[in-house]
Amino acid sequence: MVADAKTEGLLFRGFEKMLRGRSPFDAVYFTQRICGICSTAHSVASSLALESALGIIAPQQGRYLRDIIHGCEFLQNHIRHFYQYTIPDFVKLPQGNPLYETVHNDFRLPKAKNDIIAQHYFDSLEISCSAHEMLAVLGGKAPHNHGVFIGGATSHATPEAISRMRSILQNIRQFICTKMVPDACTVAEYYKDYFEIGRGCGNLLSFGCFNDYERLGTLYVDPLVYSDGAVSGLDPSEITENIASSWYADSPATYTPFQAIAEPDIKKGGAYSWIKAPRYKGLPFEVGPLARMWLCGGYRNGISAMDRNLARVMEAKKVTEILLVLLNSLIPGFCSQEVYQIPQSALGAGMLDTTRGALGHWIKIDGGVIAFYQIITPSAWNLSTRSEDHLPGPGEAALIGTAVRDTDHPVELGRIIRSFDPCVSCATHIYSKGSLIRTVQVMP
Amino acid sequence: MNQENSSCSFLMKLETASMLFHRAAEAVRQKRIPKRNLIWLELTGCAGNIISLLDGANPDFKGLVLRLVNLLYENSLMAAEGGKAMEKLFSAANGDYILAVEGAVSTKDGGLYTVIGRWKGQPITAARAIQEFGPKASYVISVGTCASDGGVSAASPNPGECVGIQSLLERKVIKLPGCPCNPDWFLGTLAYTVLYGEPKLDGRQRPLLFYSTLIHDICPRRPYFDQGIFASKPGEKTCMFKLGCRGPVTRTDCPIRKWNNRVNWPIGDNSPCIGCAMFGFPDKMEPFIRYDVT
Repeated sequence: MVADAKTEGLLFRGFEKMLRGRSPFDAVYFTQRICGICSTAHSVASSLALESALGIIAPQQGRYLRDIIHGCEFLQNHIRHFYQYTIPDFVKLPQGNPLYETVHNDFRLPKAKNDIIAQHYFDSLEISCSAHEMLAVLGGKAPHNHGVFIGGATSHATPEAISRMRSILQNIRQFICTKMVPDACTVAEYYKDYFEIGRGCGNLLSFGCFNDYERLGTLYVDPLVYSDGAVSGLDPSEITENIASSWYADSPATYTPFQAIAEPDIKKGGAYSWIKAPRYKGLPFEVGPLARMWLCGGYRNGISAMDRNLARVMEAKKVTEILLVLLNSLIPGFCSQEVYQIPQSALGAGMLDTTRGALGHWIKIDGGVIAFYQIITPSAWNLSTRSEDHLPGPGEAALIGTAVRDTDHPVELGRIIRSFDPCVSCATHIYSKGSLIRTVQVMP
Repeated sequence: MNQENSSCSFLMKLETASMLFHRAAEAVRQKRIPKRNLIWLELTGCAGNIISLLDGANPDFKGLVLRLVNLLYENSLMAAEGGKAMEKLFSAANGDYILAVEGAVSTKDGGLYTVIGRWKGQPITAARAIQEFGPKASYVISVGTCASDGGVSAASPNPGECVGIQSLLERKVIKLPGCPCNPDWFLGTLAYTVLYGEPKLDGRQRPLLFYSTLIHDICPRRPYFDQGIFASKPGEKTCMFKLGCRGPVTRTDCPIRKWNNRVNWPIGDNSPCIGCAMFGFPDKMEPFIRYDVT
């Protein structure tokens, strides 16, 4: 049984320091390089932060263009996460290929069902690829798109572009409905015990997703939180970040997003990760597809490793429906761009939900350049370290108390952590009765 | 050599990657050449290059792992995890292998800013990984700008003290910059290498196959430049020279090859080139967006 767990983020580059002194417009491109599988997320958050700082309200058509690009990223991510990152845990892929060799034997699907899903693993490669193709129609290229910017996007919708996107979307939707959803249900059927493990902290949060359109209203979910059995509105002023257990100098140990940027200190005693500890009202909160589906009332089955995987697949289906609405709302030829001026000094925040959960960019402009840039990613929420009061993060909490059947092959741990769709390498330590039994590395 | 390649017709260049790939895969199938081992390391970076590789279309990722090579180690995609994955990495290095690396190498504080796993109780830093697996590889290919030259990971003030992988290796690295590297550039270079050995490289160790022409020289918006018709902001259809477009200094075939199954490319999207495949990206290519450079 896992007595204690620490999630370690073992990669640090220092984007917040790098951004200082650069042109604010460049942040839209620069921050994308934080991550290759969700780069669109950062371009959108950055554009929102800049719009907030410059006092610009993007025209609705611009928002549709940008959100379509963003929606494509959701589809790419969720299909890849399900088939390339999740399925190999539960479905035996062709063992002749060295990439798929695995030594654990907790594969429970009967051969016929196993092989169907294994085939879908390969079929899905073209589908997720086509999601990026669809993204590039408006976004120029993927990863690291060019279309998203202040005001919406630099690209225009043409009738040809719209019909091309519709056709790709139709194909993706068919794959999700006829293969991905049934595959997820099949896995859930044979691994029912995963509904009982990996619960985490039980608190859920969203910054809002595909919401607050003038004419369309909210297509998915508003900024909400779930805690103690109740849903309530999100209050951004309750967001803090804590670095008690992270490799940063302790001054201050807790701060609000606009207040401070932590300085790295790899020699800090008691720290074990580069990942900080975002908190809402001082508590850890889980973010991601399960949080969103729960908060909008679309999925309330439970909070567990398997619930997370199911919610992600159902969200993929939902995003195809949202994209269709947005595509149908496009007016061809609309140009959302103006000549934007950078003020001498300004403050702005861009907060939205993206593939893995809530993402925030907070910018301060001074002397016409970036003076301060704070980024809190969804993986920081989910794989958060312990805060000062020793509350574990959602990922850590999800692992603690898990019964591991075979400590030589602790398959449960990887499956639980990967249900969060983590965007970092992380390691888990299994402790039993106070002594370190072994360190298990789990890499997403 | 330069002359020869840059005078190739564009049509031939467009088919280069798929042609080479199918030729190589067929040679493997007929056992005229061995199926080589490939190790892919993700170091200090965003893993955008493996995602870009997954976005390949004719040639594609499926073809790579089923027909061309044995992909022995790839952090994100392999089924094995933890200690078992590390075992595979270290045992793969005992035989013949080609090493593809994305991400720079963080050197600060003994390299502890990037740890890719643990082996025999020790953290394997990106620096250790490169020094362990680089020298013995039959070829080393740096995929993406970070591995080739530091890239965004090394952007000022370079908190992780990141460097491109060549800085830590004596032996030659074949460099494929790009942010990310276009899957055709990687798959085409890999196919050429297993068929014929090292391709002709320019003075920056980039294959002339893919890195010989300036974007500006083959840009579809060049007539606007030549007539002095310039865009005043992104979103317009004319030449973006006055917005700071880096097409005039960037040496890739993006205007022809485009991205994501030839669907589009940054300039086609009415936004300027930011020189992501250039040495010195991002610092020397910034600011990316300006309204009227002149």
